[in-house]
Amino acid sequence: MIQFQQVTKRYPGGFDAIKQLSFEIQDGELVFLAGHSGAGKSTLLKLIAGIERPTAGSVLVNNQNLARMRRASLPYVRRHIGLIFQDHKILFDRSVYDNVRLPLDIIGFGHQEGHRRVLAALDKVGLSGKDKLNPVSLSGGEQQRLCIARAVVHRPSILLADEPTANLDRDYAQDILQLFKSFHQVGVTLVISAHDENLMADYGRRILRLKHGQFTA
Amino acid sequence: MKHWIRLNLIALSRTLGAMARAPLTSLLNLLVIGIAAAFPLGFYLLIASAQSVTAHLPVEPQLSVYLRTSVGTPEVEALKQKLKADPRLLNSRFVSKEEALKQMQAGLGGTDLLAGLTDNPLPDAFVLTARTDVPAEQLEALKSELSTQSAVEQVQLDSAWAHRLQQLIAAGIALLQVVVVLLAVALVLITGNAIRLQIVIRRDEIEVAKLIGATDAFIRRPFVYFAALQGILGGLLACGIVAGARSWLNPSVLALAQSYGQPFSLARPDWLLAAITLAVTTVLCLVGALIAVSRHLRQFR
Repeated sequence: MIQFQQVTKRYPGGFDAIKQLSFEIQDGELVFLAGHSGAGKSTLLKLIAGIERPTAGSVLVNNQNLARMRRASLPYVRRHIGLIFQDHKILFDRSVYDNVRLPLDIIGFGHQEGHRRVLAALDKVGLSGKDKLNPVSLSGGEQQRLCIARAVVHRPSILLADEPTANLDRDYAQDILQLFKSFHQVGVTLVISAHDENLMADYGRRILRLKHGQFTA
Repeated sequence: MKHWIRLNLIALSRTLGAMARAPLTSLLNLLVIGIAAAFPLGFYLLIASAQSVTAHLPVEPQLSVYLRTSVGTPEVEALKQKLKADPRLLNSRFVSKEEALKQMQAGLGGTDLLAGLTDNPLPDAFVLTARTDVPAEQLEALKSELSTQSAVEQVQLDSAWAHRLQQLIAAGIALLQVVVVLLAVALVLITGNAIRLQIVIRRDEIEVAKLIGATDAFIRRPFVYFAALQGILGGLLACGIVAGARSWLNPSVLALAQSYGQPFSLARPDWLLAAITLAVTTVLCLVGALIAVSRHLRQFR
């Protein structure tokens, strides 16, 4: 469960990205996060992942308060979270396979089990057979899928996606959302941000609308 | 435990991978470490060699006091008493001109020195041995003090050169200490800088790894391995450089020493010294790496 209580995030310089926000996301829920760029969507996702710390209020993820957590404990929280970044953050100095392998190395998976999982994740996102390629040779959509494979390979209970459909055409975006839906069906909690509400509307899920760091109706 | 070993194996393979990806940089870095460590090691061996020479030499400073030929027996007796009472001297020995001539003859073998001479040309002399704890300045004072005596023709400080060599070695050791400290600092800085560069090069990887749940230890490990490996290989290289330089220099040093009649040879780095060198370079590289890593990893969240 993800729980925000009166959370404010003020960046150095005095800009409030999030203002006194309170909400709950239940386990296994799929929630969309809508709003224009600059509305605070990315900051909200970063707060859930412990990448940013709240200036005030408390952020509870699986009943742990990230606001008061020691820095050294954060990595273990993040291992329950899969992150899909707006800018992908793919490493171009290594193969597709090694990109997906990284989270497993961090956790310390065995060679065999890790290998199996990497191939399974690549298969899931439709990149099987491309594991030896350098990510540079992938298309934009494929890079997005690679990023998803890396986010789910260690089977996190929470998946956070920041603008996963931003640069994709509508059909491709639908494919990606279908992929997320399949994770939702196996019980993963998903928070997906997007500025294009038309896509979300088709799914009939809860939509949190942000504007200037606060919810709008 | 098994998990921990696995994490370390992963780190080691990541380290070797990074080194293999940039072989030239790794090699150049190794060379810098090796050369930096070779200096104090070679210098130490040079001093150790010189010390082994002075160990064979008499360290008690000796003075030869040559008397005027015109001096009579009472004056010689007076001087003998005076020298006996001097607290700076360990003992004094009178060498008469007859004795000196005999010694000289013995040293030259069969040739009759007196054949062409009507008179013994050698002077009477005292051979003085000073106490070892008498400082060099006092010996010099003693020398000039004796020179002013009316009976004395000339005073020679025989073992001054051995003493000078010892002082030279003492100065060398002091210099070695300075070199060791400076190059130790240099090694820490060199490794620190190499690690800093690696962190800059791999900052994307570090950033992503931290974002998806890597602990600081996970990030630190490959760099620590890298530094340790560079330290070990750099130390080996230093031993190799010194051993190579020794075999290059030793023949000419041997020839030079032989021309002075001294059995001098440059010392060879032994296993213990090699092990110490390896240990020191490794520790210094590790220190450099840990400083660099802890300084630069704070910027990642």
